[in-house]
Amino acid sequence: MSARYDAVVVGGGHNGLVAAATLARAGRRVCVLERADRLGGMAAGGAFPDGTPMPRIAHLLYNLSPAVLNELGFGAGGPVETRALPTVCLDPEGRHVVVRDGSPVLADGRPHPEAEAYRRLAARLVRFGGLLARLADAPPPQVSERLADLAGMRRLGPLAALGWDFRKLGRGDRREFLRIVLSNAHDVILDELSDGPLAGSLAADAVRGAWAGPRAPGTVFSLMYRLARGGGAALPLGGMDAVIAALADRARSLGAALRTGAEVTEVRVEGDRACGVRLADGEEIAAGAVLVATAPGAAMRLAGPAHYDIEAVRRLRNMRAKGTAAKLNLRLDGLPEVPGLGPELLGGRLLLAPSVEQVERAFDPVKYGRVSEAPVIEAVIPSLTDPQAAPHGGHVLSAIVQYVPHAPEGGWTGAARDRLRDVALAALETALPGLSARVTAAETLTPSDIEAATGAPGGHWHHGELSLDQLLTVRPVNGMARYRFGPAGHYLCGAGAHPGGDVMGAPGRNAARVALADATAGEAAA
Amino acid sequence: MSEHGRYDAIVAGAGHNGLTAACYLQKAGLRTLVVEKNDWIGGAAVSRSLTPGWTYSNCSYVCSLLRREIVRDLDLPRFGLQVIPYEGGGSFTRDGRHFGYYADPAQLRRELRRHSPRDADAYQRYSRTILRQCRFIRPFLLRPAPDPLSARPRDLGELAFLLKRAHGLGSRELGETIRFWTASIGDFLDEHFESDLVKAHLAGSGIIGTGLGVYSPGTAYVLLHHYMGDVDGAIGAWGFARGGMGAISNALAAAFEEAGGTIRTGAGVEEILVDDGKVTGLALSDGAEFRAPIVASNMDVKRTILRHTPRAALPEDYLRAVERFKIRGSSAKLNIALDGMPEFPAAPPGASFLRGDLHCSESLRELERAYDDWKRGRWSDEPYFDMLIPSQIDPTMAPPGKHMMTVFIQYAPYELEAEGLRAAGNWTPERRQAMAETVLDKIEVACPDIRRRIHHMEIRSPKELEDEVGLTEGNIFQGELTFDQLLFNRPVPGYARYDTPVKGLYIVGSSAHPGGGVMAAPGANAAREILHRIGRAGNMPDLAA
Ligand SMILES: Cc1cc2nc3c(=O)[nH]c(=O)nc-3n(C[C@H](O)[C@H](O)[C@H](O)COP(=O)(O)OP(=O)(O)OC[C@H]3O[C@@H](n4cnc5c(N)ncnc54)[C@H](O)[C@@H]3O)c2cc1C
Ligand SMILES: Cc1cc2nc3c(=O)[nH]c(=O)nc-3n(C[C@H](O)[C@H](O)[C@H](O)COP(=O)(O)OP(=O)(O)OC[C@H]3O[C@@H](n4cnc5c(N)ncnc54)[C@H](O)[C@@H]3O)c2cc1C
Repeated sequence: MSARYDAVVVGGGHNGLVAAATLARAGRRVCVLERADRLGGMAAGGAFPDGTPMPRIAHLLYNLSPAVLNELGFGAGGPVETRALPTVCLDPEGRHVVVRDGSPVLADGRPHPEAEAYRRLAARLVRFGGLLARLADAPPPQVSERLADLAGMRRLGPLAALGWDFRKLGRGDRREFLRIVLSNAHDVILDELSDGPLAGSLAADAVRGAWAGPRAPGTVFSLMYRLARGGGAALPLGGMDAVIAALADRARSLGAALRTGAEVTEVRVEGDRACGVRLADGEEIAAGAVLVATAPGAAMRLAGPAHYDIEAVRRLRNMRAKGTAAKLNLRLDGLPEVPGLGPELLGGRLLLAPSVEQVERAFDPVKYGRVSEAPVIEAVIPSLTDPQAAPHGGHVLSAIVQYVPHAPEGGWTGAARDRLRDVALAALETALPGLSARVTAAETLTPSDIEAATGAPGGHWHHGELSLDQLLTVRPVNGMARYRFGPAGHYLCGAGAHPGGDVMGAPGRNAARVALADATAGEAAA
Repeated sequence: MSEHGRYDAIVAGAGHNGLTAACYLQKAGLRTLVVEKNDWIGGAAVSRSLTPGWTYSNCSYVCSLLRREIVRDLDLPRFGLQVIPYEGGGSFTRDGRHFGYYADPAQLRRELRRHSPRDADAYQRYSRTILRQCRFIRPFLLRPAPDPLSARPRDLGELAFLLKRAHGLGSRELGETIRFWTASIGDFLDEHFESDLVKAHLAGSGIIGTGLGVYSPGTAYVLLHHYMGDVDGAIGAWGFARGGMGAISNALAAAFEEAGGTIRTGAGVEEILVDDGKVTGLALSDGAEFRAPIVASNMDVKRTILRHTPRAALPEDYLRAVERFKIRGSSAKLNIALDGMPEFPAAPPGASFLRGDLHCSESLRELERAYDDWKRGRWSDEPYFDMLIPSQIDPTMAPPGKHMMTVFIQYAPYELEAEGLRAAGNWTPERRQAMAETVLDKIEVACPDIRRRIHHMEIRSPKELEDEVGLTEGNIFQGELTFDQLLFNRPVPGYARYDTPVKGLYIVGSSAHPGGGVMAAPGANAAREILHRIGRAGNMPDLAA
């Protein structure tokens, strides 16, 4: 075997980088192995044919873990400079709504008739989301078989913290939390608001990346997850690529080795202990621990199903991961004139979700392998805010398009991909008339393209559905929720682990800490 | 001059839960009156004859959830209740295939193997899981829901009971339980089986009465809600009440009257009388007024509070909570008098499963699509139905040689969409008939001669269920069975102990924990709670013990 590391990290997405930096910071020798030629995974950048940077998959920050920022020494400013964006709820009728800091007004400046109701609802969801965020910075709570023993109590730690926060809520809030936490976004939103673009936008945030419509129980949980850190959204200057570059720099400066173009084909296990990896070119790298940032099923296959009990194998195979989010990246030679939306608003987070009903309706076709004819879209034109976004002039539009099936009837043929582009463009055109005429280059990424690029099964946003039956104590699957993953020294550290996806860093950090604790315990015992 | 009277307790509504509560109150020594708006009793557990010679179970049609402890304690068999188990069921497809869900394990295994050898093995695993989950949940049915936010000793006791049970499962099994409770029935079945027909056959119980599709999280629990009953100790088994579901209500009524209680039919509650935050009695539609310090409402919580209780007597946040209580109807029903046994050409001759529940849904996809129609305010193009011919087992339901068929339909919206407008008023007789034709077309998949056999047919959309039984929006469970409306959230967070902000006013029907179905548990639990509050808990046996 060649070099020997204390740990190797498989996958150089942001979670892999955070895990590596966390380990390196504790003095461990670490190497990150990334299959692609650039780091970042779903947060990696790309380029249009003319060299203009492309926000390839992920585009906005809203869920970065403060614990990660702190520990890696980034401070409150985060790894890069950002700009908070207003949310613009597009209305096909032209009555666009702008939300800033949880407060809506009509785009023409007039007050929104439901401003107060929205503020109350959003503030409550943010409050509840903050409660859930308490659980994000530690392994999920485990109600162990021996509640009384000390280890059990320690594991209940984060739960106790949650309990403390929970008590601080007023009595009405506590009741309301327990009522809605498992319920569906459709009802919770429409109990407070009339249906329209404002309500629709909340519904869209509830189902971002999900194989679920807003009527599905569990979507209030995913909405709280989305709003856990205040509910805003920020544009990273320099794009998501700059975030990745900053994380990579930090990992490197702490001593981690980062390699791209290094595909791991096997995690080597000896005596039921992970001891290194083998690469596609046959190279073997020995390591005391292996942290895998790929999807859970793939992580299990790398180590070999023989190292998992049969129930675990079955559960992992059954983990649901049907991606529904596609990406449309447009290069524009200019901006359309949109009545009622000046450059400031056009530069916001544009949400096309005209009503909760229509979000639900957009979901229906994907269940049967078809693309929504009226998709829900989150679009950003970063070049209106960030001069680095289009250094050669013109503009860039980045759009997340939902719902798009991962395996459509008839497969993703060239024609099917073109059709997806046309459907998404037509939808955008309803709110941004004249847009199509300005497009000089377009890239369409289907969920299956995203799977091919990152290895996420089904191209799934969270590497596996973020639904009630795959959350917390049962994420990714029952019995494997605390990052230790099969053989000793093997850990799961990507979005498929608790708490889940988004550019957050919590799974990478938490997994690295568990690995560190195990290593320290092992050293003490030796 | 109108009638007056004074009682210790009045029960508003003679559904089976109201009657159960009434039995226990009366037997505990309270002079109890039951008032019912219809000329008959039973609510959704009712048998009526609408054409001479035939009896329909007009609403509910099969019995399994009814708590054994209550049947035994009230000695209902002595009052004529007899539950006859039925065996198995079957599903038919358009291309002439069938799946027979035989009650005999060896035969079922053979039949499953015929569809998929893998599924035959998976079925063992599947039924073990369901059984384990049933065993876990059953002890909770005859207890009040544990309330995590209450510090009252009694609530802490219930919470401790829950924790003890959960703890007893072990962490692995607890994880599986969490998954099961939150999963969709579609995903759960996909994890086990490969045959579309087998999956479709098993999925039905997960959507009955719900505003959810087979792929909506929470539907595995709904399946459980239908499996947690038993007939003669066989978990998950279903039976017919001899003489129709009304036999249950009638037996309860007889037990109540034998204990000295009074039932008054033919006039409904107009207003629940409240004075200074306390209930004082009822005013009825025929002008009669009765006084009592306790009113137990068997009506659903929306109807009780929003239609019949003075708003001024209730705090605003409670009213809001009741207003947003979800009670969307999604079910319809055909009751058919047949002049002979229809033919099932695809079934093996003499197949025993024809005496069970029959379906014509072929895949989970088809079931999910049926849900999409409902979301849009239409009845399903390809409805799911649960169809039985109880007269094969219970000859009292039809004249000799003739038969009675009951067809439960999922999905039908309460607010039907027509000409771009969704409204309950759109359920005209013509549209009701059109829905029935859609269903009959599909029944022809199984029995092509069905239309020629029809002697009489009763069609009930959610609108009729509301108008006749008083089920708001026609919701068969008096409120949806979703997480936000179960356990300590049912019917209103903070009021899960059958009480309301009005002193002496209680909710005792299916709107309350543990919810819908002919179970009698809400009624019995509520009676216990009422007796506890007046210091008479000792007068009622502890059914949960
Ligand atoms: C369309 C879309 C839009 C999104 N937009 C946003 C957004 O705006 N904001 C946000 O916060 N989140 C967004 N997300 C979600 C977010 O991007 C992901 O949840 C997150 O980036 C996952 O990070 P990760 O490090 O866990 O995994 P990934 O980023 O998936 O990284 C896994 C890495 O492992 C590598 N790998 C796989 N197999 C191997 C192997 N065998 N050997 C070596 N390397 C391997 C892959 O190449 C990849 O780089 C979006 C997701 C999608 C699908
Ligand atoms: C079509 C259908 C099929 C079903 N199938 C099954 C099944 O097969 N098995 C099963 O277990 N469950 C089934 N259910 C569910 C089950 O029948 C109900 O959940 C249960 O019967 C409800 O009982 P309850 O006593 O709580 O209320 P209800 O039966 O609703 O009783 C309420 C009573 O109050 C009366 N009332 C209403 N308004 C007033 C008023 N103003 N004044 C006085 N009285 C009033 C009503 O007339 C009624 O008698 C079905 C329900 C329906 C509708």
